Amino acid sequence: MAAPDPAMGEPAAYGEVYDRGYKHYEGERLGRPQALRALTRYSISRSLGIRKRWTAKIVPIILYTVAAGTVLVVIGVEAFLARVTDEVLMSYADFFGFIFVIEGIFVATIAPEMLCPDRRQDVLTLYFSRPITRLDYVLAKLTAAAILTLTLSFVPAALLWLFRNLLADAPLVALADNAGDLARIALAGGLISLYLGAIGLAISSFTGRKVIAVPVIVVGYLVTEGLVNTIAYALGENRIADWITFLSPATISNNLAYSLFPPQTGIDGIPFPWWAYAAGMALTIIIACAVMIWRYVPED
Amino acid sequence: MSTSDADGFMGQPVVEIRGLSKRFGQVVALDGLDLTLPRAAVGLLGANGAGKTTLLRILLGLTNATAGTASVLGLDTRSQGVKIREHVGYMPESDVLPTSTTAADFVGHMAEMSGLPARAARQRAADVLYQVGLDEERYRLIKGLSTGMKQRVKLAQAIVHDPGLVCLDEPTNGMDPQGRDDMLDLIKRIHRMLGISLIVSSHILEDIERVCDYVVILSEGRLMLAQPIEGVGTEHGDLLVRIDGDVDAFIHRLAGVGVYAARGASAELTARDELVIRYDGDHVYDAVRDAAADLGVALRSLRKPMQSLEDIYIGEVERPVEAGRTDGGS
Repeated sequence: MAAPDPAMGEPAAYGEVYDRGYKHYEGERLGRPQALRALTRYSISRSLGIRKRWTAKIVPIILYTVAAGTVLVVIGVEAFLARVTDEVLMSYADFFGFIFVIEGIFVATIAPEMLCPDRRQDVLTLYFSRPITRLDYVLAKLTAAAILTLTLSFVPAALLWLFRNLLADAPLVALADNAGDLARIALAGGLISLYLGAIGLAISSFTGRKVIAVPVIVVGYLVTEGLVNTIAYALGENRIADWITFLSPATISNNLAYSLFPPQTGIDGIPFPWWAYAAGMALTIIIACAVMIWRYVPED
Repeated sequence: MSTSDADGFMGQPVVEIRGLSKRFGQVVALDGLDLTLPRAAVGLLGANGAGKTTLLRILLGLTNATAGTASVLGLDTRSQGVKIREHVGYMPESDVLPTSTTAADFVGHMAEMSGLPARAARQRAADVLYQVGLDEERYRLIKGLSTGMKQRVKLAQAIVHDPGLVCLDEPTNGMDPQGRDDMLDLIKRIHRMLGISLIVSSHILEDIERVCDYVVILSEGRLMLAQPIEGVGTEHGDLLVRIDGDVDAFIHRLAGVGVYAARGASAELTARDELVIRYDGDHVYDAVRDAAADLGVALRSLRKPMQSLEDIYIGEVERPVEAGRTDGGS
């Protein structure tokens, strides 16, 4: 029987067989912007283990659970203690310090996942046969990494801010009064996410093997932190020691958070203003981007 | 709107190349190519290192030529590479597929990467995978597919966005005979039934002869031949004639009407008793017929020597390679 053309819009009888012949594409073509969006979205979903085997989802689920759980525990305890004290259980700066550990592990997981398989399995050849430039590829990966790390560096802290203010006696007044805190949370969260994402991607761009990139990123955090602290301790009370702390991702992130949310008591003063740490992180982001461009952009 | 109609490509040559050269340091990969390719299935033949892959990369706007210009579908490769890649599909020679994703996911993703909206991309992926014979297997992880199936996935991602031109680089590479047959049939179908122009790069002559209707032969980065395959071997010089009778009288008679003839001078192409008659127009046939009739000799055969694509390929490509002159460029 001659198969009807579904495109003709004729009502189909039950059991009728359609001819699935090739049809030329008549729809819209969204070009390079769509390619960039697709690459960003695909990178995010693959890094989170979406449409992959269940084992690929374990690490992201655990890390998101820990981050969300921490917010819930802090809010719950503060709601309980609110009857006896006005003090907060965990300051925003403390929270950023805690969440940095989770973010570090997260970036060590997602950054190699974003870059290494493309290089190892030579998928880059296919990507570059699409309407994107090599620089577009780097930008899409950076955007994907920043969006993902933002979900850990900004979203939990913003939720903490929201719940904390909603627990106040006059929630709307508290939200308005503390809007500046939210802006500082956004600044710290945004910078830390870009900073960690860029470092993770820059390291991952040197290898096609995840089993190498993941430990290099994790050990890199630990080694730089240990090295910087050791040198700073050896130099003692010295301005050079203060500058050296810029080289440690953990220390610079903590110092940014503490300079934006100065502690009331108990912690020594932060040696530089917040913008100095922001500038240091921005410089690192630029260097990391330059490394990625160097790794991907040359054509011949 | 289809690709072909969308940007006014219809009627233009698919590829136009003028004075194209590409150097890698001291190595010349392409050497002053001048070439115009029609809307057809074009076979790009040449030994390894002839410059085929380099030419494809330039046509896709992935690398710039050292000198000269090239346009694809009317778009300049140097300045409009991104736009070209929106309308051109590419199936590379090497293994380029991600292993831990399904064929449907990946082909759909590549459709989006070509600019199609997400929903249309998913639909196109399902349709195209069906067209290449992977309807049942499209939800299997790529790492679980056979070599032939992976080649089909590569082909599917190359045509999923309905390109005006598809470049296939060694499409039968690493396939068993049955898989190779199937792949060549598929490629032929893409051009003849789906109407998509092709450039098929290969060093396997038989593959080109089976699927292409136009052939380009490269050797050491230089253009050796560019013409329809149908025309290869049909027009090659002089007439070869065998007669029963006085050969000298026959030659003399032809000379009398201005047609030059001689005993088999071109030993490679003629049988021992064949005459070679210079062909410079259809009037030669009349002269041969008249001379045979006037002298009362039997005309036993009359033919033109055929030089096959294989003869040309061996002559132009394999001899230089055997002589050890390689460019190593592509």
